[in-house]
Amino acid sequence: MGLLSILRKLKSAPDQEVRILLLGLDNAGKTTLLKQLASEDISHITPTQGFNIKSVQSQGFKLNVWDIGGQRKIRPYWRNYFENTDILIYVIDSADRKRFEETGQELAELLEEEKLSCVPVLIFANKQDLLTAAPASEIAEGLNLHTIRDRVWQIQSCSALTGEGVQLRFSTGYEQERLQAAAVRA
Amino acid sequence: MGCFFSKRRKAEKESQPEGEEERPKQYSWDQREKVDPKDYMFSGLKDETVGRLPGQVAGQQFLIQDCENCNIYIFDHSATITIDDCANCVIFLGPVKGSVFFRNCRDCKCTLACQQFRVRDCRKLEVFLCCATQPIIESSTNIRFGCFQWYYPELAFQFKDAGLSIFNNTWSNIHDFTPVSGELNWSLLPEGAVVQDHVPLPATEELKAVRISTEANRSIVPVSRGQRPKSSDESCLVVLFAGDYTIANARKLIDEMVGKGFFLVQTKEVSMKAEDAQRVFGEKAPDFLPLLSKGPVIALEFSGDGAVEGCHLIVNEIFNGTKMFVSESKETASGDVDSFYNFADIQMGI
Repeated sequence: MGLLSILRKLKSAPDQEVRILLLGLDNAGKTTLLKQLASEDISHITPTQGFNIKSVQSQGFKLNVWDIGGQRKIRPYWRNYFENTDILIYVIDSADRKRFEETGQELAELLEEEKLSCVPVLIFANKQDLLTAAPASEIAEGLNLHTIRDRVWQIQSCSALTGEGVQLRFSTGYEQERLQAAAVRA
Repeated sequence: MGCFFSKRRKAEKESQPEGEEERPKQYSWDQREKVDPKDYMFSGLKDETVGRLPGQVAGQQFLIQDCENCNIYIFDHSATITIDDCANCVIFLGPVKGSVFFRNCRDCKCTLACQQFRVRDCRKLEVFLCCATQPIIESSTNIRFGCFQWYYPELAFQFKDAGLSIFNNTWSNIHDFTPVSGELNWSLLPEGAVVQDHVPLPATEELKAVRISTEANRSIVPVSRGQRPKSSDESCLVVLFAGDYTIANARKLIDEMVGKGFFLVQTKEVSMKAEDAQRVFGEKAPDFLPLLSKGPVIALEFSGDGAVEGCHLIVNEIFNGTKMFVSESKETASGDVDSFYNFADIQMGI
């Protein structure tokens, strides 16, 4: 069941707008990811002081992506953006091991938020291009993602910088991945 | 490729197992050469002088943590650097393609260049900075900033490798996420600060091989005043267009102007389109339109009494024949500067 099927369930009519909330610690790569999704230049990105918003057309959906600044001081403002979120994208700097605990904490708190209940969460294990990046499997384990019971979730490795793994993978569902994996093993 | 997937649980047993990490797709990070992370970190050092020579980091990520009383010199370009829990250190960081992030540090004196500069939970840092975007601090005090001022022969190429322009340096306008009423958590280092009094040169034989100069007029990054108070209300905008000698010309012009007692306030390297040129150059625009497509322009803002006239003299004498925009008069100059920055800020913003 790929993201597209989730969206189809959420939105009964085509050409509907999908509200995506992009959260994560400061320096996670949220704004770089936003710019990549919008196919824009990513060589000159400034730390986000408030928020950024972009609309991206993708496979019949209009995605309104809200990228909110992640400094510790301004995380209390995240809740101002929860309402009507269709998908939560949580971005993690996979190469900042020093802050794994902190990001795990913030994600856990988000998943307890009333206004985000049942909202599917897509975790981007970002910065895979960096030397010390932990693989998605390690991050998933560290975050105890398998204990998430109350919503659909997914983790994917990416590098917002190179653009790899960044596509909101609508067309490739879980089934297709398993088939590919089986083919490789054979 | 990393893809875990869970379905909504309807019962205890799942029809499909929780997604395991399948055979990874061939991403660039799967294919590259494996390197030892220990070669790219300084951790738990005390009273040592350590460093990396040009070519030894080559764009990798670098970590610095738990160091005390150390002198750390990274004479190469890197992807991103975090500095955690360090005290009383001297730190030089060659051009960083992404962010430099100081966390829980105190009493450090640094020279560095990066795309983003971030500080959290630090106190008493001195930073001679080249930063492509607005530096930010959070929950920190006594953070002092000066302009990057450093030279060694390999440095110019390292800036290129890191994708940083020596002309894009907003070192002096800091955003504080936790401002305190009535106080300032940051300030600027005194203008006459001698770099080596803060960031001394390395004393070990290995690192001495790097031929460093900290003289202002040799600095790879032109030393600019930024937001320092201006002593004159006259400014002058010069815009140079892409060509074979643009950078050399820009440097030469800066040297000449500074030599005559004028001040370099700010520089910018940015791509300009025809409509931007119309707005900034007004009726002069047609002269410059054909030059825009060759590459980004380099803008220099000077200040000082007589800056416009002084600039025209120098340009006519030394750069006769090279097309460049120079403010016409003191009266139009401030408008030129405003128009240029209005366009550049939008161009370089989100």
